[in-house]
Amino acid sequence: MISNGTICKQQLIVVMRYSAILLFFIGIHLGALCAIRAEAQSLSNTRVSVHAKKSNLKDIFKSVESQSVFAFVFNDGKIFNDAQISIDYEGSLRMLLDKLKERSPIHYEQNGGNIIVTYQAQQPAATLTGSVTDIQGQPLPGARITVKELNRSTAVDQQGHFRLTLPAGTYTVEAHFISYQTDSRRGVSFAAGENKSLAFTLQQVVDSLDEIVVVGYRSQTKATLTGAVSTINMETKANEPLTHASQALYGSTGIWVNQAGAKPGNDGTTIRIRGVNTLSGNNPLVLLDGVEYSLSEIDPADIASISVLKDAAAAIYGSKSSNGVILVTSKKGQAGKSKIEFSSRTGFQEATYLPDVVSDPILYMQMRNAAERNSGKQTVTYSADQINEYREGMAIDPSVYPATNWFDIVLDQGMIQQHNVRVTGGNQQVNYTAGLGYMNQAGVFIDNDDAKRYSFDLKVSAQVTDRLKISGAITGNLRKYNEVGYGTGTVMNTLMRALPIFSDYHRNNMYGSTWLYTPGRNNVENPRMEVEQGFTKRDYQEFLSSLTLDYKLPFGMKYNGIFGYRKVDHWSKDFLPEMYTVNPKTGDRKIFNSNAPRLKDWDAYNAQYSISHRLTWEKLFADKHQVHVMLGQDYQVNDNRNFQAYNYGFYDNSLQELNALKDQTNAQATGGSTLDKLASFYSRLAYTFDEKYLFESTFRMDGSSRFAPGNQWGFFPSVLAGWVISKENFFHSRQINLLKLRASVGRLGNQAVAIGSYNSQVIIDNAYNYSFGGTISGGAAVNALNDRNIKWESTLSYNAGIDLEAFQQRLSVTADYFYKRTFDILRPVVIASQVGGLAGPTLNLGKVDNKGYEIDVNYRDHIGQVDYGINGSVTYVKNKVVDIAGQQQISGRYIIKEGYSINSYYLYQADGFYQSQAEIDQASAVYGTRSKLRSGYVKYVNTNNDGYIDDQDKIITGSSIPSYMFGFGAHVGYKNVVLQAQFQGVADVDVYPTANLAFPFNNGAGVTYEWARDSWAESNPDSKYPILTTATDAPENFINSTQWLQDASYIRMKNIQLGYNFPQSITKKLHISKLMVYVSGENLLTFSKFKMWDPEMTTTKGDLYEYPNLKAYTAGINLVF
Amino acid sequence: MFEMNKRKLSIILLGVLCLGFSACELEVEPTDSYDQETFWYGAKTAKAGLTGCYAGLKDNAGPLYGNASVLWEECASPNAYNYDNRLGWNSIALGTHTADISVVTNRWKSAYTGIGRCNLLLANMDKNRELSPDEIVQMKAQARFLRALYYQVLITYYDKVPFITDAPAVDQGTLARTDRAEIVSFLITELNEVAGILPVRYTASTDQGRATRGAALALKARLLLYEASPLFNTANDGEKWKQAADAAKAVMDLGQYSLYASYRGLFSQTAENSTESIFNVEFMDEPNMGSSLDITLRQFNNAAPLRDLIDAYWMLDGKPRAVSIYQNASDYENLDPRFKQTIVYPGATFMGETVKTDGTNVNFKVIQTGYTFKKYTIYDAGAASAYDAALGEYRSPINYMVLRYADILLMYAEAKNELGELTEDVWNSTIKVIRQRAGFTAATALNYPGNDATVLQQHIRYERRIEFAGEGYYYNDIRRWKIAETVLNGPIKKFDGTTIINRTFNPNRDYWWPVPSTQIEQNPNLRPNNPGWGN
Repeated sequence: MISNGTICKQQLIVVMRYSAILLFFIGIHLGALCAIRAEAQSLSNTRVSVHAKKSNLKDIFKSVESQSVFAFVFNDGKIFNDAQISIDYEGSLRMLLDKLKERSPIHYEQNGGNIIVTYQAQQPAATLTGSVTDIQGQPLPGARITVKELNRSTAVDQQGHFRLTLPAGTYTVEAHFISYQTDSRRGVSFAAGENKSLAFTLQQVVDSLDEIVVVGYRSQTKATLTGAVSTINMETKANEPLTHASQALYGSTGIWVNQAGAKPGNDGTTIRIRGVNTLSGNNPLVLLDGVEYSLSEIDPADIASISVLKDAAAAIYGSKSSNGVILVTSKKGQAGKSKIEFSSRTGFQEATYLPDVVSDPILYMQMRNAAERNSGKQTVTYSADQINEYREGMAIDPSVYPATNWFDIVLDQGMIQQHNVRVTGGNQQVNYTAGLGYMNQAGVFIDNDDAKRYSFDLKVSAQVTDRLKISGAITGNLRKYNEVGYGTGTVMNTLMRALPIFSDYHRNNMYGSTWLYTPGRNNVENPRMEVEQGFTKRDYQEFLSSLTLDYKLPFGMKYNGIFGYRKVDHWSKDFLPEMYTVNPKTGDRKIFNSNAPRLKDWDAYNAQYSISHRLTWEKLFADKHQVHVMLGQDYQVNDNRNFQAYNYGFYDNSLQELNALKDQTNAQATGGSTLDKLASFYSRLAYTFDEKYLFESTFRMDGSSRFAPGNQWGFFPSVLAGWVISKENFFHSRQINLLKLRASVGRLGNQAVAIGSYNSQVIIDNAYNYSFGGTISGGAAVNALNDRNIKWESTLSYNAGIDLEAFQQRLSVTADYFYKRTFDILRPVVIASQVGGLAGPTLNLGKVDNKGYEIDVNYRDHIGQVDYGINGSVTYVKNKVVDIAGQQQISGRYIIKEGYSINSYYLYQADGFYQSQAEIDQASAVYGTRSKLRSGYVKYVNTNNDGYIDDQDKIITGSSIPSYMFGFGAHVGYKNVVLQAQFQGVADVDVYPTANLAFPFNNGAGVTYEWARDSWAESNPDSKYPILTTATDAPENFINSTQWLQDASYIRMKNIQLGYNFPQSITKKLHISKLMVYVSGENLLTFSKFKMWDPEMTTTKGDLYEYPNLKAYTAGINLVF
Repeated sequence: MFEMNKRKLSIILLGVLCLGFSACELEVEPTDSYDQETFWYGAKTAKAGLTGCYAGLKDNAGPLYGNASVLWEECASPNAYNYDNRLGWNSIALGTHTADISVVTNRWKSAYTGIGRCNLLLANMDKNRELSPDEIVQMKAQARFLRALYYQVLITYYDKVPFITDAPAVDQGTLARTDRAEIVSFLITELNEVAGILPVRYTASTDQGRATRGAALALKARLLLYEASPLFNTANDGEKWKQAADAAKAVMDLGQYSLYASYRGLFSQTAENSTESIFNVEFMDEPNMGSSLDITLRQFNNAAPLRDLIDAYWMLDGKPRAVSIYQNASDYENLDPRFKQTIVYPGATFMGETVKTDGTNVNFKVIQTGYTFKKYTIYDAGAASAYDAALGEYRSPINYMVLRYADILLMYAEAKNELGELTEDVWNSTIKVIRQRAGFTAATALNYPGNDATVLQQHIRYERRIEFAGEGYYYNDIRRWKIAETVLNGPIKKFDGTTIINRTFNPNRDYWWPVPSTQIEQNPNLRPNNPGWGN
């Protein structure tokens, strides 16, 4: 039956496979095209001609085989060999077969390229046929069909079909397959000779109970987990264009991920696990396969899973655990046939929010003038003549009389593409995986804004002897990005300061300024110029090489050692050429920047050496008592060095190397190094009785060089316990698969204190230099007090949780209540300036509580072939400063005070606006000077009624830390199509943006339309904003008050995607095991009261000068060979 | 074979384990900063510590004498206008300032930063193992002078302040304010003592700018003059004027100082550390080593002279325009010769361009009022080099004279006049020489106008305003004379007489700066605040 044609087909497939690989690398997704041919073959449009005289069926089938691509499958037998059939036929194969069926007792069925012909008995028993597929319609070979009453079963064939002959009767038929939900049909009755077909669609059980979860220094099944651990299976994020690994954490319970600015190449997020524990140093510890690493340098495509340890389960990581621990597990080699995976996506990105700035120059000038008059000024910036001239000139010469919208000019869409390939394979002795990734992302600035990432990893594991296994891994990441020369912050500031009257003229490296004078704008900053001219190139390289030894010792003990070397090299080159602005009216040219062309090279080298040893002994006694004992020791050294050199005075813009300038007059160099050491001893004792009672205890001792001898060592114990109620004999529920109670308590540490904080330091800095008689004399000074006795900050963490799995694991619920008390908080305190104007010492100060809960609910099921799932989670966390020795720490708009959240806002209480002069005159107290105030100015509350509105009237309100984090999502799949969406948000969080565009005409900046629409006027007494004034001329309106505190809660559609899995009938022919295409959108919708900028901003930032957040539209393909 | 491997492996593993368990060494010696204890042992390090005490004077961020502080201070007086409310200076001028504006907060902090550095040096200097006892005494005397200067700034603006002379320590953060009189008495004693230690002149060129005997005596003179003035001398104690006069005389009697020949030239790099300079803050064109006067005057124009100042200049005959023989002269002609040496005005030539008021000058702008200062800038009528024309912030090189001899002469004249002792001799040795140096030749301008104290006071006050215009002296003069409510209430005007805005001055509140509210928040013991500023 194997013909030459089949061989050709196989060769073709091989060729196509390699073509597909090639095509991938050029980024064109043509793979799907190859699938179309085979599908086109069907019985109906295969033409055959048969001219048979008294031939048997077998011969007729052979004849047909020679004319078509189909092969016949049948058992040799009487009917096939002996039947005498005469037929003269020309037409479709289907018609032929139907004719043959009429004339002989046969039944046929097409299965791909095969036609299965069966003999139907003369005295037919009942026949049950059917198929078993998954909900995507993929056959499930190997599944079994059982007829319960007869205790008969049969296996499902490669095509997903089955066939059983049965005596007549009524039966219960079940289809079952490992890790799929059993589907049973009751009361299936058969009459004699009746043929019945049943189609079973089985839903895969994500058997979460057997899911392996990586926790501190070991893996556990989810069923035996006693800690509060969030896990992220990266397969679920495979189609999201993650540009930074931390973005995978969005929506995970208990975790606040805040992406403030998505600058390509530098789009890390802030991660807070279960709130903010402490007053500084709140970043969680991140480990990649057991070695400390940076999330910024991990290609999300290389990650298999992420575990986040949120409670005392983190205590095994001791001194760095109090903010939670993020364990990243990379993709590993696996024994088995080599597998090649490709994924590729491309799309574009654009800013989510941009300010609604007044770009009409006439309106802008009128508003500015009005604002100045409202501020008490009697002369205004733009004269009536100038405005008239402008209005008339706009039609004639837009480069002199422009109406420029600078956001439109310097921001645009940016392309993004990501390609990854991974090869995995091996056998029982040696396995490997190798991956290669490439990302190219253009930012939204029109120039000097792009990033590339090249990532690779190679992991090999070899069973050297029966006892020894050696694994080696090398992971490398090169992140190159280019930033605007003045830096993103400065350029965003410039952009928010640019005026519609600035000309976008640009020719010969000269950029338009304006012929109109505006206070504060003496040296016009043309945004296009700052974007296009100069650059900052950064190369961030990081690699991690590790060697792992696993050795089986006698008595069932195991040794595990990890030797890690992590090398970080950050390099940058800043170049700023000489820039010129030109007055569009007069043509006068002006140099914009001094000390140019200038150049700065910077290099930072960090090396991290780590050794980790563990001895583990694990034994199961009497089939019930599982004992686990582990002893470990880690040592880590971080050696950080950096160096920077600067020079200026090149003749022109063509040279960009330090050594191109031999003149060292202006050269500057700086550099430094720090050394940080951490030594640890730890152990774990775990005992499980019959997988019912779970008990675990850990302790860890850490010593850190960040503290003075005597205070270096800290002790961090923990106890965790679990009770699997559903395993108890008394617990009878068919609906509940798992019910587990968990509890944990532990002490976690935090050493997030600046290196050298305990040292009393005298600093050398050019700020302390002074010249005597024109000669520089080197100076030194103390800039901070210090406390030599500082010690570990620790957190007592309590957690109680419940895990529930029900309805055959369709529903899963996890709920946790947690309470964390952080004490001996390491905090640089603010002290009164009278103490030498010094920064306060870092002290162990006070206590902070974080209490909250998390609930996570998942439900998935199917209705026929429609598979769906919904999920939702909410985290509430509130922190409270319990004790800071009765002091209050005020810094700017924030206060830390007992009884309130960390960094609550501390503001004057605004109470609307003065509606009349009489109201001002009669006020018992005013802020500022009464004679200056006018109707429409902000009114403040004299909360203590003492006749003065001063600092004592400030109130504590709002918070820069959200109390609620939530996420929800849904997916629905039908056959091969999957649609899913995930939403995410935070609530009860406030921001306080100030300066350009947040305040009107701030320091010569423009204004947003909202001020035109909704500022105070007699005709608009209930306005959102006070009367239009300039921030400079009426500071009374812009002091730190509740007027400007804004709710930054939001709900955002983080991701929506539509995917199509090609059916196996197609992929199989291509010898591909999986082929998927999809389209995906990120951040497409955001709902928030805060409209000025993306609400997902740095909540403690006092201005809006951040890179925009991005929304992305991508399409991609995933392919597995 | 396998057995051997196994044994070998066991040994290796054991070795690795031992290595690991022994590697717990946690000592790290910092190599990027000095330890406070050992820092003072060496000669070079201790000298660097003293340099740090001086550096507080020029600190860019601190509004003492660095950046363009002296010019912005001028804007709190009727002399100039700060349109962009830099550090809150314009709020002070308008009388709308609050206790949290930047200059109020940061001048307090900067002065204490300097005090803290001096205190730290004084507490540790005796530990030095390399310098001679005499060098140590000299260095301590310099630090004591600087500490006195920082305190003098504090009490001038804030009246009572926490008084600290020990090395900084956390518990000083709760100290309350000490009466000004107590601080003054300490400072006088200190300055008398250090005057006895400090040299009259430094011979080495690399020591120019250090505190001298004259500096100590001149600072004492200023302190005592302020103490004698109406705002400070609330009891109207005449004896204080005598002390002030004596202190100024003591500087004159040193015989070290004289007026520099050229008024315009005095405020240039050539005249640095001239015989007129008693104590100056040293600047140079190096990163963070300069002031920002040039860019402020050239580009920002946020210390723009007001019409009121221009109108205050008398004519060449030493009389106000209204009574002058030159009363019909055009706006900017036949004025006090110091006018053109101080002010850039419409129609003048500056940086190679004719000064225009519409903002179309290429190298500079005088758009705010039509004027800018040229005193203390590197610019003049001639075109500036491309480098100079683009000189940035913190790069202006000319030293700023905190105390200069003309000031001493006018202090003496003022104190003498208040005592009714401003004789012709005193006149001739003070006001006359200053006017001669300014370029006056008319006898009506130079000769003693008689012993009418009111007339003489008018001359003295004229001299102080005009001689020191653009130097940041006048704000304190109008405060201590208690005339601010007269001269700071009303409209301010541009060159063409148009009103910019109205200023107000609340005499019950605005003579003293408030203790910064941020400081009261940190240290509630600083309450009560100054009158009118809350409890």
